[in-house]
Amino acid sequence: MLNNIKKILFILVAFVSITATNAASHAHQNNHVNHQITITDPWIRSAPINAPALGLFMNISNNTNQEVRLISAHTKGYKRIELHRTIDSNGVMKMVKQAFMPIPAHAKLHLKPGSWHIMLIAPEQVPSEGEQVSVSLKFNDGSTQTIQVLVRKGGMMMQHHSMH
Amino acid sequence: MRAKFFMVAGAAILLIAAVLYSLSGSKDYRSLNAKLTAAQIMHNPQRPLSTFSLSDHNGDVFNNNSLMGDWSLVLFIYTHCPDVCPTELANMAMLKAQLKNKHAAIIPKVVAITFDPLRDTPKVLKTYVAHFDKAFIGVSGDTQQIDQLVKDLGAYYERVVYDEAGKPITLKKHEPLPDDAIEKGYVINHTARVYLMSPDGQVLAGFPTPHKVDDMANDIELLIKAFEE
Repeated sequence: MLNNIKKILFILVAFVSITATNAASHAHQNNHVNHQITITDPWIRSAPINAPALGLFMNISNNTNQEVRLISAHTKGYKRIELHRTIDSNGVMKMVKQAFMPIPAHAKLHLKPGSWHIMLIAPEQVPSEGEQVSVSLKFNDGSTQTIQVLVRKGGMMMQHHSMH
Repeated sequence: MRAKFFMVAGAAILLIAAVLYSLSGSKDYRSLNAKLTAAQIMHNPQRPLSTFSLSDHNGDVFNNNSLMGDWSLVLFIYTHCPDVCPTELANMAMLKAQLKNKHAAIIPKVVAITFDPLRDTPKVLKTYVAHFDKAFIGVSGDTQQIDQLVKDLGAYYERVVYDEAGKPITLKKHEPLPDDAIEKGYVINHTARVYLMSPDGQVLAGFPTPHKVDDMANDIELLIKAFEE
């Protein structure tokens, strides 16, 4: 009798843990959502095959009650990866290296051309248009997110203007 | 007393005549300003472009004559630029497509001159600019010659290196790069104006950032029309 109860309990525990693992892996595949920091529309600008540096852009939403900081980005095949911001200072475009990117509580940081961007320096091989690149992002709350980034074309006006 | 009056009046008449002569000798494009949405008139016959001689991306001479006979859009870039310069070049490709869609009679050629000839040799530029449009022309050459053009067009650039602690140091105009700068890398802060050059090889107008291609296309058509009238 006792043995039977033990068996039933064992099966029950095994079932619950399998279900939980499935749910967890399902959530992981679900478009980079961890409910606290959400990444949308990540892209790398397609660049010439000899480009010494590439720009990586995305939207980062912070759904928590406090500021979150992106502290680094990692992907294989680059000499260095830096966080940058382009600042227009009386017509002089200055590229300023940043120690981190702040995303205020319940707000979104838009990494885009002419503004905040991640700089991928000295690529071993420049990825071609349409390729997917795996990038992991590290935040100051200790979390890390791995995202799939599409390589695509993009000028400053791409998002706002369609060609007729 | 009378003689003095005639001298002053004579001088005044001469001055007025000189002003009228200088105005009649060239067109006045300032009246276009009200219609232009993206461009700023830079036409100034009193200050023509200096004589320069550089190299295009095929290694052929690119000088004042290369800007004559056709309309061109000139911009300064450097290939280690991850953000502003590729955006500008992508926008120039879109601008050409926009002019084509509008059935514009004239589509200017695009000339990208490097701020960074040390790293941007003609060969490097050839691969780089062709990515955006096969017809784009990359130009490199002697630093002093490039600096003269930068000055003539009212552009500006400064090189920035990083010290051991990662602190940015802006180099002075003629300050040499540190020995390890190529290895460690450096960036360039720069203006990002696009210049419309008329077929006489002179600057007619400048387009400051942001480069809205629709507005630029409209202004280019207006400027070309005014020049050719």
